[in-house]
Amino acid sequence: MNKRKLWIVMLLAAAMLVSACSNGNNGNPGGATNGTAAGETGSGGTDVGLAPAKLKIVLYGEESARMRKLSKSEFATIVKDEINAEVEFQFLPWTEYGGGKTDLMLSTGEDFATYTDTNYMVKSVSKGLYADLSSYIETAAADLSQHVDEASFKAFQLQGKQYAIPVGNKPNSAEFYSVLVRQDLLEEVGMDSIGSLEELETFYDKVHEAQPQLVGYAGVDARRMLSYVYTDKNLYWQNEFLALDESVEGDEVISWFESEEFKAYAALMRGWYTKGIIPKYAATNTPQLQSDWNSGKAMFWAGTAARPFEGAAAITEAVPTAKLTNYFLGKDRPQISRGTYSTAFFVSANAKDPERYVMFFNLLQKNQELYDLFAYGLEGTDYTLDANGRLTRLSSDELIPDWLMMNKNFMRFSEDVPDDFIDQYKAWDDDAIISKGAGFNFDNGPVKNEETKINGVLTEFLAPIASGFLDYDENFPRALEKLKAAGIDAYVAEYQKQFSAWYAEQN
Amino acid sequence: MATHDQRGLIAVFYGSIVFFSLICLFPFVLAVSGSLSTESRLAAEGYSLLPRGFTLDTYRFMFASKATQIFQAYGVSLFVTVVGTISAVLVTTAYAYVITVRSFRYRNWFAFIAYFTMLFSGGTLPWYILATKYYHLDDKLVGLFVPYLLNVFLMYLQANYFRSIPHEVTESAQMDGAGHMRIFFSIMLPLGRVGLVTISLFYALQFWNDFYLPLLLVSDQNLYTIQYMMYSMMANIQYLASGANTQISGVVIAPPLESAKMAMTCLTVLPIAILYPFLQRYFVKGIIVGSVKG
Repeated sequence: MNKRKLWIVMLLAAAMLVSACSNGNNGNPGGATNGTAAGETGSGGTDVGLAPAKLKIVLYGEESARMRKLSKSEFATIVKDEINAEVEFQFLPWTEYGGGKTDLMLSTGEDFATYTDTNYMVKSVSKGLYADLSSYIETAAADLSQHVDEASFKAFQLQGKQYAIPVGNKPNSAEFYSVLVRQDLLEEVGMDSIGSLEELETFYDKVHEAQPQLVGYAGVDARRMLSYVYTDKNLYWQNEFLALDESVEGDEVISWFESEEFKAYAALMRGWYTKGIIPKYAATNTPQLQSDWNSGKAMFWAGTAARPFEGAAAITEAVPTAKLTNYFLGKDRPQISRGTYSTAFFVSANAKDPERYVMFFNLLQKNQELYDLFAYGLEGTDYTLDANGRLTRLSSDELIPDWLMMNKNFMRFSEDVPDDFIDQYKAWDDDAIISKGAGFNFDNGPVKNEETKINGVLTEFLAPIASGFLDYDENFPRALEKLKAAGIDAYVAEYQKQFSAWYAEQN
Repeated sequence: MATHDQRGLIAVFYGSIVFFSLICLFPFVLAVSGSLSTESRLAAEGYSLLPRGFTLDTYRFMFASKATQIFQAYGVSLFVTVVGTISAVLVTTAYAYVITVRSFRYRNWFAFIAYFTMLFSGGTLPWYILATKYYHLDDKLVGLFVPYLLNVFLMYLQANYFRSIPHEVTESAQMDGAGHMRIFFSIMLPLGRVGLVTISLFYALQFWNDFYLPLLLVSDQNLYTIQYMMYSMMANIQYLASGANTQISGVVIAPPLESAKMAMTCLTVLPIAILYPFLQRYFVKGIIVGSVKG
């Protein structure tokens, strides 16, 4: 009898263990493991006598075979030599960026670092999930600070504290304010440049006549590139709902959808949609547009400083003769920049040694040699350089992503990029102004509900009008009604309040 | 010899079965044909039953640098499905047996405790903490199936099969000196095999299709399952194509989008599609055994 009981107890014990495991209900409170780790640095940033440390860097996307190999060999060696740390790279799917597993790892107090944007930073800092890195910049990020713009550092400060270290330094003013045109098509139809909306539409008409299968604009958002046409203001968007006019002084925040400018813009987009410049399937299959662009099936796209060469590689695979050029539809206003960073790395609040992480970020932008290694790999194996320092990559495997590293002080161009283009690219930001909102981070806490609701209205009612799928006059009144009901007024008021307070502090 | 009426009826039955199988088959055929089409024609003309501009480029693209990884992932998936199903069935039937043993005083308590977890769960965060900090299931092969070893719903299903076995059978076995182990393995399991077949099928599908555990618990590429690999490839393609992150919009990667999705679907479905006709025999047999026994 006892034996039987013993068997039952054992079976039960085994089953209980897994039952608890599969449902996670055995009552462990969420923050139970948040032990405070004592800092082990103590050496004040000197490289001498650094205690060994372990770093975990999370990157998003797919890990290439070459990256996998290098991260265990050359990358590991160099990081060990430079800062006496063992670095582990973990790759997560992009869907986990700014949420998902990243959130889980942060909330459970794991020791890691990865990149962030300002929105995610504000959200996470309010929960106390990012480490304050202010005190390490001078000691641990001295090299990086020389190659990364100061405004970029400011963008990742909250209440005067540095919560993320920016990396990258590339001309990026007027992002999406230019029209990226297929120059080869333009020349084919006997035109040489574009300087106005009329010329852009003539370009479309002519190409459409010759090649009706091509899509006109491979996007659904043209508010920036068309702003030269529908307004005299120099609008700079803070988010989907709010914009600033950079041509005037002052802290006024413009509610974009309620403005006259939006009405004028929607009319232009409606025209594009009915005319077929934006394809009909864009309404239901927006991702297809980028695929169309990449396979050389579209005439123009929204431009950035780097897109003419960054994008060319993909298109020339489909259309070997393709050439890309940026044009502005007007020339009367300065280009606006948010800062020249690519992204910024944060360190989780529970990291044992935040300073060592900052040292690692420093390595990424320390000097040409390390930049080449992390971005391009080993010379001779992964890439070759010609006499002019032009780069030929021998493998298409991505290492530490190019877009993340991109720093105009170090970056290399492939030999098919013309010299004048490089000069143009480097001078792109010369007359640019920094947005008056750069460095302001909105705390959405007080209007969280409103924000969720207006985002719902945006997707359901406003986006189709903004993209020209629906007529403004017929549909906007109802959309506005919904927007008001969702609390846009309270949202704008709160934003204005915070922005004014911040603006007053700056000036 | 069937009468005229019956023949008509049979024709109707066959007709509707054929009709419904075609409906079920249709999306699958579209996926196969899509995976063999060229991306440009797919974008321009949409899907069709026969591939548009037949090409193997999509598969070539996927296997190009990933052949070893894909096969390794198949291996992990296969291991997790086989070992996971066997262990899960063992644990589940054991628990089900325990809560049906009449002489066991606390059986209702244990039934309740399991049932409770169906109603209330701790949520993802506590689950994650438990799995990683206490059980250390992260980056381990066992982490890919241990958390799913006891599905309470299936446990109740199995318990009901056990309850349908007359109590007298176990009682007489006990009188002949059989212990619980013997009763469990020699009587309950063989008699409850209809239930066993059912829950095994459920478990096997769950393990094969799961990408959630690898997403949460695995960072080592050697432990990726085929479903997770597909999930992560798809997630990246979709995220980049949607331009959700303007920070990275400058990076233009052009994977074959629609056709790639379809090729991935085919690759994940393929093994099940190949195995199913062979396994089906056993499922049908199991169900017939049950029906005869009433």
